Amino acid sequence: MNTPQSIGVVPIGDIPDMAPRVIAAHISACLNLEATVLKPIGTPSYALDKQRLQFDVGPILQNLESKPFKGVDKIIGVLSVDIFLPVFTHVFGEARQGGRVGLVSLFRLKKEPPGPDRLSPDVLQRAAKVALHELCHLYDLAHCENNPCLMHFSGSLEDLDLTPFNLCRYCTRFFKDALALPGRPLL
Amino acid sequence: MDKKMSIMIVDDESIVRESLYHWFERSGYRVDTAASGFEALEKLEEYPFDILFVDIKMPGMDGLELLKKVKSEYRDTIVIIITAYGSIESAIKAMKIGASDYLLKPFKPDYLSLVLEKVTQQKKLADEYNYLKGRLEKITRFDNIIGQSPPMKAIFELIPDIAASDASVLLTGETGTGKELIAKAIHAKSPRSHHPFIAINCGAVPDNLLESELFGHRKGAFTDAVFSRKGFLEVVAGGTLFLDEIGEISPKMQIDLLRVLEEKKITKVGSSEPLDVNFRLISATRRNLDEAITQGDFREDFYYRINVIRLHVPPLRKKMEDLALLVNHFLNKYSQETAKRVDRVSRGTLTLLKQYDWPGNVRELENAIERAVVLSRSRTLTPADFGFLSTTVSRKKGTSTLKEMERAYILETLGNCEWNITRAAKVLNINRVTLHKKIDRYGLRAEKQ
Repeated sequence: MNTPQSIGVVPIGDIPDMAPRVIAAHISACLNLEATVLKPIGTPSYALDKQRLQFDVGPILQNLESKPFKGVDKIIGVLSVDIFLPVFTHVFGEARQGGRVGLVSLFRLKKEPPGPDRLSPDVLQRAAKVALHELCHLYDLAHCENNPCLMHFSGSLEDLDLTPFNLCRYCTRFFKDALALPGRPLL
Repeated sequence: MDKKMSIMIVDDESIVRESLYHWFERSGYRVDTAASGFEALEKLEEYPFDILFVDIKMPGMDGLELLKKVKSEYRDTIVIIITAYGSIESAIKAMKIGASDYLLKPFKPDYLSLVLEKVTQQKKLADEYNYLKGRLEKITRFDNIIGQSPPMKAIFELIPDIAASDASVLLTGETGTGKELIAKAIHAKSPRSHHPFIAINCGAVPDNLLESELFGHRKGAFTDAVFSRKGFLEVVAGGTLFLDEIGEISPKMQIDLLRVLEEKKITKVGSSEPLDVNFRLISATRRNLDEAITQGDFREDFYYRINVIRLHVPPLRKKMEDLALLVNHFLNKYSQETAKRVDRVSRGTLTLLKQYDWPGNVRELENAIERAVVLSRSRTLTPADFGFLSTTVSRKKGTSTLKEMERAYILETLGNCEWNITRAAKVLNINRVTLHKKIDRYGLRAEKQ
């Protein structure tokens, strides 16, 4: 990849305007990638699990992967609904290694009670961290053992709050390698 | 977390397999999936996965049955049971069989992360334990001598007593039985262990050179003696001298060595000044020295000097109960050396290996395992990996190749000369060193020992 990478942030369903804008700003600021907020798309009702009353990330990713999204290299979808992987109770976000589309859900980023209403600065910060983390998965970065690294796995809000916005030096190197733009300033 | 851990997800539901596959992939693990217990066992045959996530309810072979099989055949593999049909009973049952943990679907992502961290720690501790156990075994066991058969146990029991004395030891047994290892073990357990252990194969060194090697020489003692040189009898200084194939040394050398053993003094080639020496002698032979004495090939007085303590090392075909142990030992050794994770042999392979009579004994077995490990493409050695053994066996029936004809002719000549190497070498018109090399290469042995 020798051309600058462009990231599209897609609001999915009913999302406060602030969330995708904050995420796009963090992508530009932290990863030095062009990020644009794209036109919103509808709630993925096809992915609703009626028993769990949650949205399965598998079909959502599949659906978004099939859409063209012209002019962007990677997509970060932002949802306010509760998302899950079949074995897990929930996930904050999801992306396939080296894939094109990542997701972040605002639903569980707020401490008690979970829900989509009102976005505090804490929630926006967490959403940005999850989005950056998932985006790095799209560039083939795996979870990192270093605690102070964006790619360290965060299973709880407490962990997520302790996670920094930046990558450790190893992951920074991997990310640069993935972009194949060694001269490009990062972080 | 150790990124090198390998994980297999065993679940009949593709969505579960996919979800976990991507999750583990994102965490940097080597990950694979299996849709059934049977497929999982097949994959385990091919690759040694560290952790298995197994769904308890699967058609055909259920998770508990798979768990039982995995624990009986691959003890070190960690199994974590996953189920949506969880109950305390099945959890207890799984844990009793050997599951490391139990997960109820759906679970929190951070719980899976914690479970992985826990089992990784367990594995790390188990690996450390196995490593230290191996180190301890290496220290306590008789350096690489493997065996649980009654004859080997008897040898192990004798070694400490023999080591404590300073008497000369004669080790008898066929080629490749591990005589030198036993000599080393005796040395290692003896008060001389801090001094050198020097091994010389008398059969492989020409007689005139052997004299110089053992006794050393002074500058100008013979045409090529440009410098003075210490002999092994001097260099060994307080240690143990191991003379392999002592039955092959010339009568003159027997006299020289007898004198050294009696007087504990040597005289370098080209010198007249005697030099005090201090060593313990351990000798080994595959010849029947009693017969050699009767035939006048071996000095009786020398024989009694070297044969204060006699230890016979049995051939591999007489201690087949050690075969599996030896196979595992060499398998570990060569899978580590070659960095190939070949750590199993199929039952059919063991049966095949037991049917072969191993004329080259443990050395031949070691070479066979090394060859099989190097060429194997799977973690399990199968009879196909030992195809070269059946070739060897089948060749015994007919003499079809030039090599086989050479082998047969050498064997016949050796038989005619009653395994007197010097005589046989003369008949074959080759030197003794070459004959020894051919004997080793073809794994030849005398019919009677």
